[in-house]
Amino acid sequence: MTKLVGGDGRTHIESRLMRESLQDRAVLRDTENERDLRFFPDVTLVSIGGQSIFDRGGAAILPLVEEIAQVKAKGHKIVIGVGGGTRVRHTMAIAMDFGLPTGGIAQLVGAMEELNAILLNALLAPYGSMPMQRDHFWDLPLYFHAGITPIAISVPPFHFWEPPPADGGAVPMHGSDFGLFQLAEVLGFKQAIYVKDEDGLYDKDPKKHADAKLIEKTTLADLLANMPAENILDEELYRTWADAKNLKRVQIVNGLKRGQLLRALDGEDVGTVITNEAVKRD
Amino acid sequence: MTERRTLDSALAHANLSSTSASSGVDYRPVAVMPDVRVVKIGGQSVLDRGRAALFPILDEVIEARKLGIQVVLLTGGGTRARHIYTIASELGMPTGVVATLGKYIPMQNARMVQMLLAKHGGLFILPDDFEKLPLYLQLGCIPVMSGMPPFGYWEKREGGSRIPPHRTDAGVFLSCEFLGARRAIYIKDEDGLYTNDPKKDKTATHIPRISAKELIERNLNDVVVERMVVEYLPRARWCKELQIVNGLKPGQVLAALKGEDVGSIISA
Repeated sequence: MTKLVGGDGRTHIESRLMRESLQDRAVLRDTENERDLRFFPDVTLVSIGGQSIFDRGGAAILPLVEEIAQVKAKGHKIVIGVGGGTRVRHTMAIAMDFGLPTGGIAQLVGAMEELNAILLNALLAPYGSMPMQRDHFWDLPLYFHAGITPIAISVPPFHFWEPPPADGGAVPMHGSDFGLFQLAEVLGFKQAIYVKDEDGLYDKDPKKHADAKLIEKTTLADLLANMPAENILDEELYRTWADAKNLKRVQIVNGLKRGQLLRALDGEDVGTVITNEAVKRD
Repeated sequence: MTERRTLDSALAHANLSSTSASSGVDYRPVAVMPDVRVVKIGGQSVLDRGRAALFPILDEVIEARKLGIQVVLLTGGGTRARHIYTIASELGMPTGVVATLGKYIPMQNARMVQMLLAKHGGLFILPDDFEKLPLYLQLGCIPVMSGMPPFGYWEKREGGSRIPPHRTDAGVFLSCEFLGARRAIYIKDEDGLYTNDPKKDKTATHIPRISAKELIERNLNDVVVERMVVEYLPRARWCKELQIVNGLKPGQVLAALKGEDVGSIISA
């Protein structure tokens, strides 16, 4: 029977955190343990780049759609998310010129990703795909049972509440790379695969430096200690991953090279494989 | 292979992943609604005390509104939030799930406050309703909303805890920052910031004014507002001060709404 506790002018429900300040460090530590529950351990998050794939048009998108159809045919369970690309940058540039606050910019940008999601849905519809409402995650078993590939909203719902950026600038910290990573993390997915237009992560931007070297395998710890100045993924993703408990593997593959995504889903170490050794799960 | 088709803009070729993303853009920020007072009513500290604590506070909010002061109220969670956090933590729920559960109780509290304020223009609003605030405030309404940020499943885990780091204090600060108001006001049941939790440590002393930097350096085991807010304060563009006032002392809320320096002030 639940006990109500009074005596200090407030009525508490008896619980371990009752009367406690949730800022107290000892209280916070008490809620911690090494593992988080994992809800969908056999699902892979596939993120498709905005600038890198969608902004190239049909020549890049259509072959990838066919590859996704093959992925489905092989029975891989995937949730797809997409980036917004150059229209996101244009939105931000105009909004910043207007002097709109970071939260206002964050509220605007998601619409540009959504356009790519609609395109992808239209192209994947013959193979079975559906847009997934913002956080209707508990519908996922139904999607997979029916052979439908969900296309998730990639920009996280920080909106007007986007925190002040760490670098003192105005660009929101939480973009689609982060949003999709967090979706995979909170639901306890198997892995996240980012489909871009390069073979993976390089020590510097391969589009600007001919001598850039591909990093085929690395750990999150090594990467955080030695972060390439120009990164193919948002930095917030790596910062978040450092405190995460579920995702052990993030892979970056080249969506312009046929078969890379499929091979990655088959478990091959194509592109760049980053692992978080601090994650304790089995 | 076809090239990327790029729209020309100041950020077209910038590396948004790098921390210097916004350099090179002439950014002159514009305040959205700088005159609005964004005010939190504490969950555990005020709402769980019931009528005795809440009604006098609402009377002062109504009085301020009659003076033409524009007030937006945000509510905290309180003991029911702590109860669900306890159970969810025991079950090993990820922080994003805990944060999603944490949305419901401040929402209940906002609905209760709205019902009480309805005859004085109390209006329940959702996170996306900021765009309608100009109308509501010009009509003399008192918008009431949950203080919980809408992050939900996207709330990141902070090292060492599965309690969501952004809760209703953060929601108040972030609302204030978006609206371009200078000071976020927190109504609690203490005179403000103390050297330790005054409910447990009788030797704790009151701190009337302190900078966020100093507060972080003091490394207190317990603070009256969420740590994320203190961390964000120095890099905020608009919300430069957090004011914590005692809602149990008559006149403090009205004084704070009029802009007086009562309680404790934490500055950027």
